[in-house]
Amino acid sequence: MSFRRSRLPAASALVLALGLAPLAAAEDPEPPRRNYFVYVCAESDDTVHLLRFGPSGFEELDVIPVGSFPTETEGPHGINISPDGSYWFLSIAHGMPFGAVHKYETGTNEWLGDVTLGLFPATMDVSPSTGLLYVVNFNLHGDHVPSTISVVETGTMIEVATIDTGVMPHGARMNAKGDRLYSVNMMDDELVEVDAMRFEIARRLYLGTDPHAGHAGMDHGDMGGMRAPVVKPTWATKPSPSGKVYVAGNGDSAIYEVDLEGWEVSRRFDAGPGENPYNLELTSDGSVLVATYKSGKKLGFWDLASGELIAAPETTRRVPHGVVVSDDDRYAIVTLEGVGGEPGTVEVYDIATTQRVSEIDVGKQAGGIIYWKGEP
Amino acid sequence: MLEHLNLRTRLLIATGLTLGLAPGLALAQEEEADPGPQPAEIIVTPSELELEVGDSLTLEAEVRDGDGNPMDRQVVFYSRRRRAVGVNPAGIVEAYRPGEHTLIAMVPKDPEDLHRRAEPAVTVEIPVTIPNPPVATVEVANLPGHLYTGTEIGLRPTVTDISGAVRHDVEVGWSSADPSVATVDSLGTLTLVRAGRTTLTVSAEAASSDTAIEVLANPVASITLGGAPDEPVRTGDVVFFEAKVTDASGNAVPDYPLQFATLGVPADGIVAPGAIAQVGDDGAFVAERSGTHTVIVDGFTHSASATVAVVSRNVRKDVEVVGRGPVRDRRTSDLWVWEGVDGRDYAVTGTHSADGHAYFWDVTDPSAISLIDTVRVDARTVNDVKVSEDGKFCVISREGASNRKNGLVILDVSDIRNGIEVIARYDDQLTGGVHNVFIAEDHIYALSAGRRYDILNAEDPTNPYRVGRFELDTPGHSIHDVWVADGIAYSSNWNDGIVAVDVGGGGMGGAPNNPVMLGSTPYPSGWNHAAYPYRSKSTGKFLMIGGDEAFPYQLMEGPRARRRAAGWIHIFEWDEWDSPREVARYQVPEAGTHNLWVEDDVLYIAYYNGGLRVVDISGEMRGDLYRQGREIASFRPYDPETVKPNSPFVWGPQPFKGHIYIADNTSGLWALKLVDAEPVNLGEPH
Repeated sequence: MSFRRSRLPAASALVLALGLAPLAAAEDPEPPRRNYFVYVCAESDDTVHLLRFGPSGFEELDVIPVGSFPTETEGPHGINISPDGSYWFLSIAHGMPFGAVHKYETGTNEWLGDVTLGLFPATMDVSPSTGLLYVVNFNLHGDHVPSTISVVETGTMIEVATIDTGVMPHGARMNAKGDRLYSVNMMDDELVEVDAMRFEIARRLYLGTDPHAGHAGMDHGDMGGMRAPVVKPTWATKPSPSGKVYVAGNGDSAIYEVDLEGWEVSRRFDAGPGENPYNLELTSDGSVLVATYKSGKKLGFWDLASGELIAAPETTRRVPHGVVVSDDDRYAIVTLEGVGGEPGTVEVYDIATTQRVSEIDVGKQAGGIIYWKGEP
Repeated sequence: MLEHLNLRTRLLIATGLTLGLAPGLALAQEEEADPGPQPAEIIVTPSELELEVGDSLTLEAEVRDGDGNPMDRQVVFYSRRRRAVGVNPAGIVEAYRPGEHTLIAMVPKDPEDLHRRAEPAVTVEIPVTIPNPPVATVEVANLPGHLYTGTEIGLRPTVTDISGAVRHDVEVGWSSADPSVATVDSLGTLTLVRAGRTTLTVSAEAASSDTAIEVLANPVASITLGGAPDEPVRTGDVVFFEAKVTDASGNAVPDYPLQFATLGVPADGIVAPGAIAQVGDDGAFVAERSGTHTVIVDGFTHSASATVAVVSRNVRKDVEVVGRGPVRDRRTSDLWVWEGVDGRDYAVTGTHSADGHAYFWDVTDPSAISLIDTVRVDARTVNDVKVSEDGKFCVISREGASNRKNGLVILDVSDIRNGIEVIARYDDQLTGGVHNVFIAEDHIYALSAGRRYDILNAEDPTNPYRVGRFELDTPGHSIHDVWVADGIAYSSNWNDGIVAVDVGGGGMGGAPNNPVMLGSTPYPSGWNHAAYPYRSKSTGKFLMIGGDEAFPYQLMEGPRARRRAAGWIHIFEWDEWDSPREVARYQVPEAGTHNLWVEDDVLYIAYYNGGLRVVDISGEMRGDLYRQGREIASFRPYDPETVKPNSPFVWGPQPFKGHIYIADNTSGLWALKLVDAEPVNLGEPH
């Protein structure tokens, strides 16, 4: 089903969407009482920025130069944290020709090792039950050829398996158990569910409109290139507690809710023309979805109980990219790429009010972002 | 007070409403249940493997709790060297390649334990040994046609195993059936004692082969060494010595083994010079220091020598700064200088890690360079800039476009003083970024995906379209640059070396829509970044000048290391496509190469932190040109007012109408000129 995009002001929209009295949401956001730490990739500056948002403001704690070729822009794209918070992993998109994933220690940001993977390694996630890292090889280099998901043993930084997936895989998020990975194949209009223990695709869900396609479990290779992508999915969330995965339809400007039990699209949220959702994140209870609208210079806050758009605040800079939610669900922290020589920007939104409460400039093309920790 | 509760809980408390809680929240508020017995051990049978290549075996795995009770838990298998030994989810192992390998069996953490954790519950390593295949054959590889008493030959074996692989890791044994005729030591040195017949045996593992040899009486009566010049030569000049071995009748002795050596006395004032000259197996001699040198040819029973007087090369020039086009607020990338349609001279420079600018300069008067226009495109880096031979259009490459479509942009520069117009954008299948381009005979050669180059027809530059593509098929192939001359495209392919492709001038039926590979150079360093094809004016030989790009210190010291380049210039003689021969190098210590250009037997190199280097490449070349004093000039562009003050990092050079233009990454465009050097003694090699 589709929903009309709300024109209501952000705070009142949230109140109405959740059926709340105006009391709570109409107030200004309370200032933070904890510190929140995020790592952010500046894809066109080959830097990673460690940021802290908290009572003392929004600060840059460290700028970490990354990559191996100082005269090439190697493109740090995806970033994630080991389940115990001890390490961060960074995908470097460009190499000779293959990209890589690098491992660093959190806090000290000491470089520990790397592993060469496929073309344009991008989004990744770590299985909390095995410690294995799953990295999609995005391969946006023009030709629409099927690509892979790399599996990396993070202790040794060895690639131990590759999983054939589809054309331009992007987005990679594990379920809480760490035995299923969800990713999308952008140019195949597919959501895939990876069996993270057997290193194989368990299920495929075609999201497009081709009536002759979309059979779960179909052989991708038979259809690759035969249908023009419509949805162009760019992101899949971790499953919500109620067993739903949300997919960003960058091509048709929609957000898809996929019911994992039935393995079907249960709802479709129309983000509005020209918004082009790109990355998504859920609050821990699965009640609110935050989307970056790459072309729209906006964010979308969605109430998932009602399926209504709560608010769509405009960002301070163009090309919104990544989004994470703090572990207490108070804040959505968003990266904005900017264009050309503009710096990247990281913005913090109070989720309850959808108000922007802080922002900070970082290196060019701020993209990948990961929440590290919150502490008093 | 509410901030530690989740979003919906906070809102519920705030409003007093009674909405249903999400399942996750309800679970989170319950007391943690006893997780029950946990995996403590995994028993894999067999616990270690020895397999032959091609063997298969199934692992059995049993998971036990702390009391030793079996548990029904999933076991994950994988290989740490999956291209050598594979294992599937069912535990079936397949052996592919020899070596010592490791398989892993692990039991994931309890799926209901949702706390943050990093390691699986239990992991066990299974060592796998796959021995090398047995040796199938071993043979002597280099036995000459004639063997003479009193001489020695260093024998080399060729060892092949049953898989067909040539092996270099197998111990080889040597023996002679009759040591009174010939002996052979453990290193394969064959000493020919007296005339007669014997059999050589070479063995490796269970394989061996016998070779019957006949040792002839040594007929040599004389060895002479010709080629010594009458006049002094300069450091860096190559002298070809020729040894003649004759018998008592004056006839040449075929296959006679010879060894060359050189020694010498450096000129007065040169103290502790290190090695001062070299001579190759072919008798090619070159000196690095002036002095009196002796070349010796050793024929075991006879020898000969010759003496060469060597003087300092003395080609040094000074560099004069003629003019500048400073770019101080953003980094500069490549440059191109050309004569415009209107007869004036222009230059274009790109920008790197900035905001998509290309700068256009009037350089008609190099002492008064003026910026006449800038073009800005949606990009962070305009890495490469090229102008068509007729001066009518310019191609700039894009990386970091906000829509990630990158590709290239074509500009009309035919009436540059009255404006530069964007006449086309092309990004079809070039979305990953175009790092380098070249324009030749109405075609654009554009790098794509770091893997290949696409060839675009640009007869109508407002409407380019793809007509061809060239890509290697080697494992992990990669490309960095392409340069086209006389209908042959030369691409720089890192460890695949420099690849020559017929695109119309190679005589192999190639064309832009049908590129045909002609050959490639070896490149053991793996750093081939740029290449410049050049036919020597002084020798007529076809040379390929290959340049490295390398940052090994970054790899050693980590990404935070200061940028410090390495690498050198490789000089190949390449008159036959299937037999390139690397004969010389130019290597500046503590610096690294980038782009290069050759004109009139002079090599211009952008040597990053080493600045501009100008090198004499006239005549034959052997050895290290830097140490031979062939460097004509060097120049480091210092500017205290730039994005990175006083940090020369020269990106590209181009000689043009008697001047040298360089693009410096931190300071922009410079116009330079070589002038006679001040008579200052810098010592050799300068």
